[in-house]
This record gives sequence, structure tokens and C-alpha cells, in this order.
Amino acid sequence: MDTFSISRVNNNEYSILYLNGFLDAHTAPELENEIEKLIQEGRFKIVVNFNDLNYISSAGLGVFMGFIEDIRKNGGDIKMCSMSPKIFRVFDLLGFPTLYDIVEEENKAIELFKN
Amino acid sequence: MKYLSQLSLLLPLAFFVGASIQYLGVSPGDDSLVSLYIRDGFLIIALILSLPLIYKQKWASDRNVLRGLRHLFFLVLITSSILFLSGDRLESLQSQFFDQAFFRANLSDHIFVISWAFFALVFMLIALGTLRNLIYIKRKKSTAAIFTLFMVFLLFYSLISLPQSNYYRDSILHDFALYRYFTYAVLFVLINLATLNSFRVGWINYLNKKQKLGCFWGGLILLPIQVLFVINFRKITPMESFSPLLEQFIEMGMLFLTLYLGFSFLALLAHLPTAQLYDRKMQQIQSLHDLSRSLSSEFDWTKLVRTIVKLASEVTGAEYAWLELYGAGNGSLSLISSKHLMEFERKGWSATTAERLIDWLKRTKETMICNQVNKNDLVKDIQTWKKDIGSLIAVPMIASDRLLGFLYVGKRYEFGFEQDDAEMLRAFSDQATIAVENARLVEESIVKERLEQELKIAHEAQMKLLPKQMPKLAGFELEAVCVTANEVGGDYYDFFELGHNKLGIVIGDVSGKGPSAAFYTAEVKGIMEALAKEALSPQEMLVATNEILYRNFDRKTFISLIYGIIDAESKLFAFCRAGHCPILYVRETRVECERLEPKGLGIGLDAGPLFQKSLQPQSIQLSSGDTLLLYTDGLTEARNINGEEFGENRLAATLLAVKNKASIDMKKHIVHSVYTFFDGQNAYDDLTFIIVKAV
Repeated sequence: MDTFSISRVNNNEYSILYLNGFLDAHTAPELENEIEKLIQEGRFKIVVNFNDLNYISSAGLGVFMGFIEDIRKNGGDIKMCSMSPKIFRVFDLLGFPTLYDIVEEENKAIELFKN
Repeated sequence: MKYLSQLSLLLPLAFFVGASIQYLGVSPGDDSLVSLYIRDGFLIIALILSLPLIYKQKWASDRNVLRGLRHLFFLVLITSSILFLSGDRLESLQSQFFDQAFFRANLSDHIFVISWAFFALVFMLIALGTLRNLIYIKRKKSTAAIFTLFMVFLLFYSLISLPQSNYYRDSILHDFALYRYFTYAVLFVLINLATLNSFRVGWINYLNKKQKLGCFWGGLILLPIQVLFVINFRKITPMESFSPLLEQFIEMGMLFLTLYLGFSFLALLAHLPTAQLYDRKMQQIQSLHDLSRSLSSEFDWTKLVRTIVKLASEVTGAEYAWLELYGAGNGSLSLISSKHLMEFERKGWSATTAERLIDWLKRTKETMICNQVNKNDLVKDIQTWKKDIGSLIAVPMIASDRLLGFLYVGKRYEFGFEQDDAEMLRAFSDQATIAVENARLVEESIVKERLEQELKIAHEAQMKLLPKQMPKLAGFELEAVCVTANEVGGDYYDFFELGHNKLGIVIGDVSGKGPSAAFYTAEVKGIMEALAKEALSPQEMLVATNEILYRNFDRKTFISLIYGIIDAESKLFAFCRAGHCPILYVRETRVECERLEPKGLGIGLDAGPLFQKSLQPQSIQLSSGDTLLLYTDGLTEARNINGEEFGENRLAATLLAVKNKASIDMKKHIVHSVYTFFDGQNAYDDLTFIIVKAV
């Protein structure tokens, strides 16, 4: 079975989620729980780092869609960074770049929040 | 048959009657040795014949302790009362018979003596039968042998001691010293055997405390009476004049009865102080037994945990009992069932202080017994949320190295528990652990079965959503494949005959898996089918679809779609892509594969405006020999055993290799290539594609 793990780093008002492994229909609930926790804590400025993610399925993409409205309503956002070309391709096919800021580096994502 | 066995008692009776008639025929003083021999001979035959018959009686073979004891009590009471009541007459007869060798008694005196002898004999036989019944309880191999040996010696001694009697004074053995020693030796063995039999008082174990107390008081009354009875018996009964043998037999039997009652009484005294403990042990064993019985058949979770808590408090006599288990899913500890403890009270136990006890239990895997809760650092915090717990036992429930939870019992007072309670609770908890584990396994398997059933239904539903047969379109070859692996995916394709030689083609993929994906697919199919009749352009079609689905989908669900229309006359293919995988386009005239990937958001991601803006309609003029391959990501994301994806490039190459073949061969080739690539691995997603070839 392919594994998936998340680690979170809080950087001032920003929270960075590091995704690792395989994000599919089976592992998506873990990401869901994590983001739900952030929302409960009132941390709406979220950066998701995809550097160590090997695979993402449509269910994985769905997780972001499930929360984005709520997060943006609260003045926050989900910004994505460090995607491998393969992962980016999945996002790109669905047109996610028109919905989310997807940047190359974590720093840039945080800078985007500041602007 | 039943009456026959009762009737057989008549035979020994006949011998007794025979002896009586013979006695009445010759007056006592005239007894010759011969007539005594005849009488005692008759009587010993009567005894030997009656004993096995007595043993067969229900009251002598049912091993019923209490009834046996009651029998003895009333037997002794009644017999001794009769002895005392008729004592005067018996005594006077006895002294007359004894003092005056040639005393000539009248007939009524003789009949009185015979009646007394008969009565005493019946008493003795019943007493022996009852004793045997008691002795045989918890019988061992030697029990029957020792008792039978005793009875044989009893008869034997009664027989050989006859020459000692005054009535046999004419016998040559009467004054024979050596013979006397021999009788003493036999007597010695007899008394030893009687003692040995008297040790068989195992039935005491079957009495509960109340019954033991009853027996104690009964014994207190009975024993002095019995002792008086034995002492008086010889002195006041004139039985010897009727039969010295019978007299010996009854006297020795009486001795044995006294011995047995005495021993029983002593054993009872020894058991009394521990009676309560013994009772509790019995109750504990009963509880354990109840538990294993109810647990092995109890798969109803609620009932099971309630039983566990109830029996745990019973086993230890505790006021409080509660069961905490780790949840099967998230692994957090929670109160499952309790007695005299509310959930809000337990919540008062802060996680950090509870953790200390739990850590200790986890680490040692031992039972924690604490008789002064407020003096024990591990558990004293309990009194902050449950003031009146004075003593506590906590047991970890471990099933094959996995910790399931903890079982607690508590008492109001300090020093409420003994080590014994802890051990009992441990034994009990081991049983309970198995039951909990079993119940969970059963539940899991039921859930799993239900899930599998649901998946099967969803899978069938999904298959029914696909077109049953391929449409015909002049100038085109159409092929489609949809294989789902183990799971239910959200892949979907369909064709719509639009009239005027036009055919609508749709391929899509709903996000997620399982039954919900299948339901969304059904929704998409319904909407697309309805919209297709409106003769909309691909762009209008997708915008309309998005509008409806965005309202109906939950936010995390979306669908990627391609909708295209082939005009068979102009060979024009017009389409729009909404987030779906690109179309692979192979022209007959070229040796490369083009990706048709106009921009377009997935459906369900945006309410409308942004979606509409993102779509880029595209049209392709097809020529004869050109091929379009529409597919879902299951085809390119299929991974082999090394984790390598099939990928777009490999798919393109596969398609190119067969670009001049008929569409059906192309289909076979692609499927074959993908499965060769899998090399036995299951696909992670659905495998869905459509081939459109212009001919």
C-alpha cells in the first residue's frame, strides 16, 4: 500500500503543509482532517508544499476545492508550491492555475500572501 | 419393575419373621445353642439380603446431601425418642432377662422385644443406606471398596463376636482366650474401617454458608442425643435375648453412625470460619462460568459491555465498575460502560493524571490493586472526580499483545479488596478481553461484507450507465472500452445521436471513487442526455452542464469532461475540453501524435462565469485514416510493479504503432499493451477510452 503523510509548520500567521507520498481517495481524508484542524484553529493562510508528493488523484484535488470557499471567506487562501511537473500537469489539466496561485517556491507563496 | 424391587424386600422380611417365630416357639431360658444358631443364621441371611436392596432405594443413591442429612437428623431423633419413651419397659425386661437366666416372660413381652428389634434393625438399615449415600458423594476409586469392606467386617464381626455373648455361654469358644483376642483384632480393623469411612465428608463443600450454619445447629442438637442413645442402647434394650447377632450389628452400626456424625461435625466446625470465603469463591467461579457462557454467545456490543461491567462488580463485590476501551478507529480511550459512575464524572479525570496510571498499566501489564486510593500517587486524582472511591483495582485488557482497554472496579471503603479479588478480576478480564475482541471482529466482518456488497451494487450500476451498444456513423469506425478494476471508479462515456448524421460523444471522469462517484456519474449522464436533445454546441453543452452540476455537487466533487460532435458529412469534429485529459490525434499522413488540449476548467470547480471564460472550443477537420483517441487518466496513470506510469508518451507511441490498422485492432493493441505493461498488477483506476477513426 502506498503511504501518505503530512507535516505542518506554523510560520507566524502562515501554516505550511508538507505533503508526502500518495494522495488518493484512500489518503485524502487525512489531508481533509489536517485542513479542518487549521480552520478550527483559525489559521486560514495556508501554503501547501508538494515537493515530496509523488502522486495526486482527483479525490486529492477535491480536498482543496472542499475548503477553499470557506477559507477565502475568512480572508485566507491556499497557495501551492514546489510541484513536480507531473503533479503540476494534473492540476493544469483541470485548470487549477486559474483558481489557485501555484508557484515554484515556498517563499514566493508566502510573499503572495503579503501582497 | 419398580414394585418388584420393593417386593423383593419381602424376602429378608420373611427370614426375619422366621427368626421371630422360632424365637416365640422357644422361650429364652430354654434356648439351646442350636436354636440360637438357627435364629442368628436366619437373621444374618436377612441382613445380607436386605443390604443390596436398601442401597438400590432412591434415598440411598441420589447423592442428595441435604436430604441425607435431614434423614439422619429425624431418624436419630425419632429412634432415640422412642428409646426414651419405651425406656422403662425395655429396661425392666432387659434386667429381668439378664439377671434371671430362666425368666419366663409372657408373650406380649416377647412381641415387644421383637418389635423393638425390628424397629431398631430398620432404623440401622436406613441409617447405613443414608450414610453410604453421603460417603459416596465425590466418590473416588477406593470409596466403594472401603465402604463395602466395612460392611463385610461389620457382618463378620457381628457373627464372630457371638460366642462372647451370655447366651452362647455353652459354646466352646465362650471362654477361649485366643478366640477372644481374634475378635478384638477384628473389632480393631472394624473401628479403623469405620474411622476411614468417617473421613469421607466431602459433601460439606457442597453446602453454602447458610446450610453449613443449619448443619452446625442441627449437629449441636443431634450429637448429644446420639451419644446418649449409644450409651443407653446396650444398657436398656433386651435385644440380646432375641438375637445377640442383631444386637452386635446394630450396636456397631450405631458406633459407626456416632463416629461419622462426630467427624462430620468437626469437619463442619473447621469449614465454618471459611464458609463465607468459600461461598464467595463459588460465586466467583459461577460468575466466570456465567461470563464465558454469555460472552461466547453475545455479539450484541451493548449487551456485552454491560454484562462485563455487571459481572466484574459481582465478582469482586465492588460498588463501582467501569470499562474503558480504545476506539477501533482513532485509538482514543473512552468510557464504554459503567456501574454507579457517570460519564461526566469520568471526564473529570484529566488526561495527564489518568495517563500516569495508564502508562503504568501499559508498561507493567500488571493488575493494579490499591486499598488506599488517597495515599497512592498513581490514582489519588480519582478522588477529585469520584470522592468516595476508597479502594480500586485496575486491569489492562490485553488480547494477543494488543491493548484493548482497561477494566476498573472500586469500593467506597479503604482496604475493600484482597489480593484474591485482583486475581479473580484478572481471570475475569482475560475472558472479557476475548469476548470484546470477538465481538469487534464479528462487527468488522459484517461491516466489510456490507461494504463489499455496496461496492458490487455500485459497480453494476456504473456498468449500466454505459451505452449497451456502439452507435453506427457512416464513414467512421467507433470503439470503446471501459474496464473497472477492483473498485468503482467515476469513468463515464456516452454517445448521443443528434440527427442529420451528427453524433455527440462524451467522455468524463468524476473525482473520487466508490458508490458516491457512481451516483454522480448517473447524475452527469442524466443531465447530458437531457441537454444533448437541445442541439447545443459543445461549449453551450458544457456550460449548461456545469451550471446544473455546480449546484448539485458538493464542493470537493468535480468532473472532467470532453464533449464533441462529429459531423459525418463534413468529417468535422468540434469539441470542448473541461479539465479532461487531452485527445490524442493521429493523422494518416503524419508520423506524429498530436495532443488536442484546448484550455478549460473542470466542471463543478466554478459557479459559471470563470468556467465559461476558460473554455476554448476547437474544431478538427478529419480526413480518411485519421484517428482520435479519447481516454481517462486511468489509462495513463496505470502503474506497473515498479511504480512506473504508463504515461501519455507511451500511449501515443502505442497508438502510432497501429495507426493504419482498423479501429478494433487498435483497441485490442492498446488494451494488450497496457496489460503487458501492468504485468499482472491491477490497474489503480478505471481503464476507459474511445477510438474514433475516419474511414
